Amino acid sequence: MTTETLRVANRRTAGITPARFRPVLTHLALAAAALVMLYPVIWMVVSSLRPGDEIFREPGLLIRDLEISNYRVGWNALTEPFTRYLLNSAAVVFGAILGNLVSCSMAAYAFARLEFTGKKFWFAIMLVTIMLPIHVVIVPQYILFSQAGWINTFLPLVVPKLLATDAFFVFLMVQFIRGIPRELDEAARIDGCGRAGIFLRVILPLMVPALATTTIFTFIWTWNDFFSQLIYLTDPKMYTVPVALRSFVDSTASTSWGSLFAMSVVSLVPVFLAFLIGQRYLIKGIATTGIK
Amino acid sequence: MRPLSPPTAPPRRRLRALATVAMAAALLAASACGGDSGGASANGEVTLRFNWWGSDTRHKITQQVIDQFEKDHPQIKVKGEFGEWSGYWDKLATTVAANDAPDVIQMDEKYLREYADRGALLDLKKADGLDTGKFEPDTLGAGEFDGGLYGLNAGINAFTIVANPAVFKAAGVPLPDDKTWTWDQYSKLAQEISVKLNGKGWGTAAYGTNDASLNMWARQHGQSLFTKDGKLGVTAEGLTEYWTNLVKMQEAKATPSAEFTSQDMNAPLDQSGMATGKLAMSYAWSNQLNALSKASGEQLKVLRLPSVTGKASENGAYYKGSMFWSISSRSKHPKEAAEFVSYLANSPAAGNLLLAERGVPPNTEIRAAVAPKLQPADAASAAFIQTISSELGEPSPPPPVGGGQVEKIIQRYTTEVLFGRLKPDQAATQFLKEMDGELNK
Amino acid sequence: MSALGELETLGRMKAAGPPDRAGRAGKVHQPKTSKKDNLAAYLFLTPWLLGLFLITVGPMLASLYLAFTDYNLIQAPQWIGFENFTRMLSDERLHNSLRVTFTYVFVSVPLQLGVALLLAVVLDRGVRGMAFYRSIFYLPSLLGSSVAIAILWKQVFGTEGLLNQVLAPLGIEGRGWISDPSTALGTLVVLNVWTFGAPMVIFLAGLRQIPAMYYEAAAVDGAGTWRRFRSITLPLLTPIIFFNLVLQIIHAFQSFTQAFVVSGGTGGPSDSTMFYTLYLYDRGFGNFDMGYASAMAWFLLVIIGVFTAANFVASKYWVFYDD
Repeated sequence: MTTETLRVANRRTAGITPARFRPVLTHLALAAAALVMLYPVIWMVVSSLRPGDEIFREPGLLIRDLEISNYRVGWNALTEPFTRYLLNSAAVVFGAILGNLVSCSMAAYAFARLEFTGKKFWFAIMLVTIMLPIHVVIVPQYILFSQAGWINTFLPLVVPKLLATDAFFVFLMVQFIRGIPRELDEAARIDGCGRAGIFLRVILPLMVPALATTTIFTFIWTWNDFFSQLIYLTDPKMYTVPVALRSFVDSTASTSWGSLFAMSVVSLVPVFLAFLIGQRYLIKGIATTGIK
Repeated sequence: MRPLSPPTAPPRRRLRALATVAMAAALLAASACGGDSGGASANGEVTLRFNWWGSDTRHKITQQVIDQFEKDHPQIKVKGEFGEWSGYWDKLATTVAANDAPDVIQMDEKYLREYADRGALLDLKKADGLDTGKFEPDTLGAGEFDGGLYGLNAGINAFTIVANPAVFKAAGVPLPDDKTWTWDQYSKLAQEISVKLNGKGWGTAAYGTNDASLNMWARQHGQSLFTKDGKLGVTAEGLTEYWTNLVKMQEAKATPSAEFTSQDMNAPLDQSGMATGKLAMSYAWSNQLNALSKASGEQLKVLRLPSVTGKASENGAYYKGSMFWSISSRSKHPKEAAEFVSYLANSPAAGNLLLAERGVPPNTEIRAAVAPKLQPADAASAAFIQTISSELGEPSPPPPVGGGQVEKIIQRYTTEVLFGRLKPDQAATQFLKEMDGELNK
Repeated sequence: MSALGELETLGRMKAAGPPDRAGRAGKVHQPKTSKKDNLAAYLFLTPWLLGLFLITVGPMLASLYLAFTDYNLIQAPQWIGFENFTRMLSDERLHNSLRVTFTYVFVSVPLQLGVALLLAVVLDRGVRGMAFYRSIFYLPSLLGSSVAIAILWKQVFGTEGLLNQVLAPLGIEGRGWISDPSTALGTLVVLNVWTFGAPMVIFLAGLRQIPAMYYEAAAVDGAGTWRRFRSITLPLLTPIIFFNLVLQIIHAFQSFTQAFVVSGGTGGPSDSTMFYTLYLYDRGFGNFDMGYASAMAWFLLVIIGVFTAANFVASKYWVFYDD
């Protein structure tokens, strides 16, 4: 078992080219690609550390006058301290993640593992819900939520997630579950598990990569979701991060670019951290593939 | 070895969601049903909803006005909803569709008739308690049509050419006399500057990036972009001449390359060629002088547009409302809303806080009172507005229904012409055809 | 455990050669529709069904109704039958937006997925600092729809941007990539490829789910890197490739935010970046023509539906499921 675990970590490094050169070449290529990919991000971080009026006058990435006031100013520039917007976003995101994990996994299990009348029909319907652009549904949806009195609350942003309206994740999980050998289901059934038991004991643990992926993506997409959050939240105190960031941009007068970049960097941090932490579970997934 | 135990929790049911099923059935009738735009509590207290777009500076000072108003009117509470420009209109359209519109709305000329013609805005002439007596006469016209007043001018501006004296100096060219210059002289001046700057900048930004420049051109030729009865007022010949002249200026290098212009067209103000010191002259609204000066780091100067005849009074100038105050026709509290709008427009308290951030106050008394408090750039534009008052033409009517997007359409054709993808006369006929389709849908 | 033994046999048989339709290790799987399954299935589907009927279906049907009306958002909708659809036939700007969108879909999706797969495979090899690189490559996706991206993209592709600065010493004259109608769409394709983080992560998750023993069995049989990739990785990854393909195509057809932010909402220069949904939004919210916008939306749904169905049909020939 131990040898296997070790092998798991380094399983594909055996090859034709001398093992010595490959890591160096790969590193160089990756580093170069990373630098090119990251240039805009680096530029933004650097700009957030420059005085506002220098941002577009100084070319290049070297900072002459380090200026961290953008962060302080930007934090308090809007009517609420930025902490408020971060907390609002966090609340919405937390609810969304919880909702998606629970409801989408349940729906995915049904579609992937269970046979039932109307399966193909409902699956097609599910896919169709992904295909309609939000702009034409937003007005009827707004009317719906407005009748329910949910405008200016987080409810229109979270409740749909609890009801698996993010068909993307249902589809994702379906594909993952279909990759799990059915023999394991059979083994569990022989052990006396019912459908729910198979779901809880066999499928869910093996789906950890898909669950982690769902968590990561729900976090990131909800964190960055601008349009619905703009429409449903009317009181600036309720604003979430993307809406607040847009407030820094005023196309008719002057934009506080320094503050915008500083706060953009700040709002990148949680998502980035979420990704850093979440991706470890992608790796962990391999340790629980039903071999043991 | 047992698999890991799952981290799931049982799903929660939402009882409220079941209630919504019944609501969903009434979805489409919702537009006709009553919504709630502001409440009245038992003790007679009224809550108004007031929305506006702008920068955080504007948010802060407007909130201060609200606080002051609430102090002076204890029975009225005002809830401010604000954000930035583009999201603002999406939200307004959605809330109006759901019959959930705010009571007091900051409105723009582009959308004024879209909302008013369809009955979404109150005729302010019929509103109780709204006093426009002290307003400069020419300023109300921008929000008037069909005999009613649907938007109260919240700040006067005029379309101008902004000049950067530092760039002029670098080119060794004196500033022009904007009272007498013609298009020819303007073009030659710009060309001269471009030559002297030798690639480091250009004489002027291209026109045709703003509907106002087409409007002024048309007015100089006895026409108007839109007429009072809501039709298109420009002809194919006029348009062809407009764009031909533009192409000539580009070929003479009086204006930057097509790519630069295309990029500049939608660049934020502080990213524009004028703000980055690449242009000696550019087009801007008079109330943008402050922001442009700050961004460029120079004291920019505001000039009149050139005319065909060389006479300032014939350059087609007009007072525009940089924005308007409107009241929702479905507001539950029109009286209080009118009170609030009146406060915004006429009270010295509001005037002292708002200053000229939205444009020059149309109320002459307020204008005189705040003049000494203005920042230099705002004072300069206020002085400019004052100076041209004797040179104005007829007020310019707001765009009719379907005409709000005319600026984007003009920009598209200007781009096509500058890149040589269309000839000016082709652009002219296609523009007319497209506008016709939009206006007569 | 007999299950493990069966699994090992399965593994060795799969490692031996490329799978085909009969390659399900000779097992014939007979799904049974029993009463018990129906109840269980619908029980598991309850949250989704609730969401569907309470939140999704209502507004969707409303928008379908609106497609047959003249609706300006302010006044009640007026029924006009198929007029919106016939108008679409002669709307030049709509045809242009279809051209733009189709170009975008067919160029950027393969590119993006190719890059994502390449990097996922490279990163999965156990390079040192893998977690770090993974995060680095994912970072752009976090910015992809932010308001800052417009400025950032201009910094790279503008007339004074990085690309031109890099090309200058090479003697190539830079142009306004982002402001020239003939190249502006290209910059958006690059933007889509730049944000390959999401499909890459999904590929990684899929790669991680391929049991190591298949590779070990293959190594024991003497298969080289490329052979292993072709015979094990690719086939077992096909469900994930399929998933990414379907969703990235749907996503690309609906692409809105990036074009909106980079072009400042105009679809410019000269409508060269006027994506279908951007035009739809412009019509609906900008021109108060929500009926027409709804008609456009349902037409898009049909287009996407056709492509997705084609994808599903074709998938029978190249996607290999383990169940």
